Amino acid sequence: MNSELFQFSTITVLLLMVAFYGGTYLLSTRLKQNDGDADGFMVANQRIGLGMGAASMTATWIWAASFYAAATSGYTYGVSGPLHYGFWGALMILFIYPFGRRFRELAPNAHTLGELIHARHGASSQLILALSNLLGSIISLMVNLTAAGALVSVLSPLSFQAGIVIAGLGVLSYTLYSGFRASVFTDFAQLIAMMAIAVVIIPAVLFAMGGPAVMVDNLSNLTAEQANIFSREAFLHQGAPYFVAVLAYAIGNQTISQRLFAVDESHIKPTFITATISYGAIVIGLGMIGLMALTLGVEPINGNMNNLIPQMVSSYLPPFFIGLFFILVIGSLSSTADSDLSALSAIMMADVYGKNIAKNNADPKKMLLIGRMTMIVATVLGIILASFSLDILVMLVFVGALWGAVVFPVIASCFWDRVTNKAFTWAVLSALAVFCLVRFDLLPMTGVLAIGVELLASIGAGVVGGLMVFGFLGKRLGVAAFFIAAVVVAWIGVGTLREYTVLLSSLTAYGVSTLVCTVISLASNERFDFDLIQERVVEYNKPAADELKGETVAAR
Amino acid sequence: MQTIILGSYILVWPAITLGMLGLISYAVVRDYREARRTNADMV
Repeated sequence: MNSELFQFSTITVLLLMVAFYGGTYLLSTRLKQNDGDADGFMVANQRIGLGMGAASMTATWIWAASFYAAATSGYTYGVSGPLHYGFWGALMILFIYPFGRRFRELAPNAHTLGELIHARHGASSQLILALSNLLGSIISLMVNLTAAGALVSVLSPLSFQAGIVIAGLGVLSYTLYSGFRASVFTDFAQLIAMMAIAVVIIPAVLFAMGGPAVMVDNLSNLTAEQANIFSREAFLHQGAPYFVAVLAYAIGNQTISQRLFAVDESHIKPTFITATISYGAIVIGLGMIGLMALTLGVEPINGNMNNLIPQMVSSYLPPFFIGLFFILVIGSLSSTADSDLSALSAIMMADVYGKNIAKNNADPKKMLLIGRMTMIVATVLGIILASFSLDILVMLVFVGALWGAVVFPVIASCFWDRVTNKAFTWAVLSALAVFCLVRFDLLPMTGVLAIGVELLASIGAGVVGGLMVFGFLGKRLGVAAFFIAAVVVAWIGVGTLREYTVLLSSLTAYGVSTLVCTVISLASNERFDFDLIQERVVEYNKPAADELKGETVAAR
Repeated sequence: MQTIILGSYILVWPAITLGMLGLISYAVVRDYREARRTNADMV
């Protein structure tokens, strides 16, 4: 095993990046241009087919950290580790599908989930969602650019900052003009490259290191827990917190909802199923490289788990494969970064300008200008923040909590006519406050208080289970699943959950937001007419309904 | 036997990826032909 990673020359790594971003840029120029098409810039033609839709969904969901984290999970938790990263992540793509159909049914012309919530509740709820989306996309952009800097600096003499700048400008170059359309169009090519490379690299590493027989011979390197496919440790430390976190990610992230509003409505189901399987297979497969490293007793260079995959590829395969690995990571981080830029521009165009400044009388050309300016500012901000290598854990935790807190209020608002703006807003704010108290150990987790928080978390677990069943099997079974999951988790978790702070705080956020939202909604006599949403959410390229009415009257 | 099980457990993922790669490519080609036929944009 090499103690140092393979190094490309500066010229080689520059050529690889120029080839990647140059090729992607040329691909984006094949799109037909329409200067005033604000809707196309945000959600393409809203008739994206199965192949492009599934490819874009998969490429967006896979970011650079997916490979590193899956391999780390395999290395840390053994046989079940990659499953506890990839399987739950994949399931979350599937999870959003039934709710996505409802979103499309309520607001077929929407560009963001925030617009739907604005039409349902008004500005405060929408801006909570828009703020969480903005923060999430900026963090994601920064993390992906950081990954580019780290990869370039580890595999070549180029600096960390050089990698960040090249990746940032590269992504901006092909996304700036056509926005979301370019993002989707190039996602397809990027995903095909990623899949083809994953198909080659996984077996290549396995057989280069001696094949499955060598792994079996070295299984003694694994602890009993690591060798167990049903490892409790792996589930509680990796699977369960991730499952809860990505559930929030699926609802709270604009990159996913943007695709939801863009794919052909008749293809939503197969698109989501295809993306689920594709994501799971690629990520779990690459996570297996971490398991291979564990069985062979490989120590990650400098103790950095992110070095595991490059280290294994570098040790067992020729430089050509390291080049493929380089493209794999650059492809994954670029496809997510371009989606972040598209998401950020759509939020500023639709949620901020369209709904709160222009009040549905938006000028499409001004919208496009705002969208492109947003992309430029976001890229510069992402490059600066990534260059400082900031510790983003607190911000990441905060955004995760915000997303967890909005899941129930968003879903309930789309199915239950009694949910009010007040219920939505207070549910999110109170859940966030309780989350912070638990997550940052601001309260002593002992005695009655700890039991109370664990019971709230059990309700949160019931909400997660209940929502999943509700989405696929309807209200009755959903309610039954809520009670069963809550009781089971309370039975097992009271006295134990306090040991798992990340899981406890995430579940508590779900539990508190659900309770507050439900209680305030039940106390209100308001009823909402869901048909109003379709009237209120407009296409920006076309005049609004009231404008058309005015024109008709004038003509008469 | 253990070798076959472990090997299959690892290799099944690239195999599924290959299958999905074929499916997505096929779907895109079909969408492309449809778009050309109707003179519409793919995205």
